[in-house]
Amino acid sequence: MNPTLPQFRGRLHDARTAVAIGRWLGSAVVVCFLTGLISHVLQHPPGWMTGLLPVRPAWGYRLTQGLHVASGLAAIVLVMAKLWAVYPRLFTWPAFRSLPHLVERLSIALLVAATVFELFTGLINILQWYPWPFSFTQTHYAVAWIVAGSLLLHLAVKAPLIRENWRKKKADVDAADRRALLAGVGAAVGAVTLTTVGQSLSALRGFDLLAPRSPDVATQGMPINRTAAAAQVTYASSEGWALEVAGPKPYRITLAELEALPQRRVRLPIACVEGWSADAWWSGVPIRDLLARAGAPPGTAVRVESLEVWGYYRVMEMPAQYADDPSTLLALRLNDEVLSLDHGYPARIIAPNRPGVLQTKWVSRLEAV
Amino acid sequence: MRIAVGAAGVFLIGVGLFFLLPLPGLLGVVVWFAGAIALHDVLIGPIVLVTGLLVARLPDRAVVRGALITMGGLVLITIPALLRPGPSPNPTVLVQDYPRNLLICLAAVAVVAVVLVLLRRRR
Repeated sequence: MNPTLPQFRGRLHDARTAVAIGRWLGSAVVVCFLTGLISHVLQHPPGWMTGLLPVRPAWGYRLTQGLHVASGLAAIVLVMAKLWAVYPRLFTWPAFRSLPHLVERLSIALLVAATVFELFTGLINILQWYPWPFSFTQTHYAVAWIVAGSLLLHLAVKAPLIRENWRKKKADVDAADRRALLAGVGAAVGAVTLTTVGQSLSALRGFDLLAPRSPDVATQGMPINRTAAAAQVTYASSEGWALEVAGPKPYRITLAELEALPQRRVRLPIACVEGWSADAWWSGVPIRDLLARAGAPPGTAVRVESLEVWGYYRVMEMPAQYADDPSTLLALRLNDEVLSLDHGYPARIIAPNRPGVLQTKWVSRLEAV
Repeated sequence: MRIAVGAAGVFLIGVGLFFLLPLPGLLGVVVWFAGAIALHDVLIGPIVLVTGLLVARLPDRAVVRGALITMGGLVLITIPALLRPGPSPNPTVLVQDYPRNLLICLAAVAVVAVVLVLLRRRR
C-alpha cells in the first residue's frame, strides 16, 4: 500500500457492480459494433458482397443506423458508470507486479482509450463537427475493431471474476445500495435515449429535445444532410440540364421529357449515417425504366454522377439489385413538390435500404455498368 | 475457450491496427487516445467521485444519486451541441435551443426525484 495514493472506501467499487454494469455496456457495444459494420458494408461493400446487399426491408438501414447511434449514446452513460466502478484500480500498487500484470494493464488502457475515443468522436460527428486532424469515417471504422478486440481480450482475462460475480451472492450487505445505483444508471440511459431517439423513431419525436436533428425542422418535409451551397451547386449549374444515360444505346433526356415519362410515387425513408431518418413521398422515373431505354438488360448495375463540384460521394455505384427494384427512382418530386435545390434539383436518386450519402443529389449522368 | 476468446481479441486488435496505421493523421489519433484517458481519469472521474462523497451522507441518498447520474448523462451528451463554435453551415443540423431544452430535461429529472423522495417518505 502506497500512502500517497488515494484510498477508496466506497463499497460499490466492487467486482459485482463492475459485472452488472459491464453486462449492459458490453451489450450496447456489441449492438453498436454490429450495426456499425452493417453501415460500413452498405457504404463500402467489398467486391464479393455487392451482389448480396439486401434491398428489403426498405427501412433496414433506418433501423440499424438508428440503433447504432442510440446504442452509442447509451454506451456513453454506461462507460462512465463502468469506469466509476473500477476507478480505484487505477491506483493499484505496485503499479506492475509482473509482466502479465503489465500487459493486462496496458490492454485495459487500450480498451478504455479506444472506447472513449470511439464514443466521443461518434457523438461529435452526429453534429457534423470535425475538430480533429484525421478522417472520421476511416478512423472510426479502424478503432471499432480495436474496441471489439480489446473487449474480447478483457472478457477472456476477467472470465473467472465475471463468472464468480455473474449472479448475486446470497449474503450481500450492499445489495440494496447496488440496486439503487443500477436503477440510477438505468434511469440515465433511459433519459438519454428518450431525449434523442426521436430523431430516428417517429413515435418518440415529441421527446426529441437534445438530438442534433429534429426531422420536423426541415424543408419540403425532409432534413438536409449536404446543402447545395456546401456542394457548390446552384440553379445556374443545372441550366440547360439534360440527363445523360450511357449504355448500349446512349441518350440524353431533358427535364420536360423526364416529366412526360410514366411516373411512380413511392414512400421511402432517407436514413443518414448520423442517425436521423425520416419518411417521405417521392415521385419520379424508375431507374430500371431509364436503363431499359438505354438498351441495358435487367440485372445491370449503374454508376451515378452528380453535378456537385467535389464530394466523397460525387460518383456513386449502385448494385444491380437496387437498380432493378421498381421503387428505386430518379426522383423529381419530394412530397409532391418539385425538388428544392438543397434536395437535389433537378433530379436525385432515392432507393430502398441505402445510407443517405448514397441517395445522390443533382444527378447529371447514369451509366450502365 | 478462454484462450480462444483472448486470441480472437488480439487478432481483432491487429485488424484494427492494420486499418489504422496506414491512415494519415495517425499522430492526431494517438493524441486523442491519450486525451480520452486523461479527460476521464484526471477530470471527469475525480469530479464524479467528489460529488459522490458530498452526497454520501445525505438523507435519501439513493434517489439523489440516481438523479445526479441522470443529469450527468444528459449534460454529457449535450455538451458538444453547447460548445460547437460558429453557425452551422446547414440549417437542419443543431436545430434546437439546446441550453433551454437541457434545462427543461434537468428540471424534469429534479421533479421526478422530489416526487420519488416524497413517495418513499410516506411509506
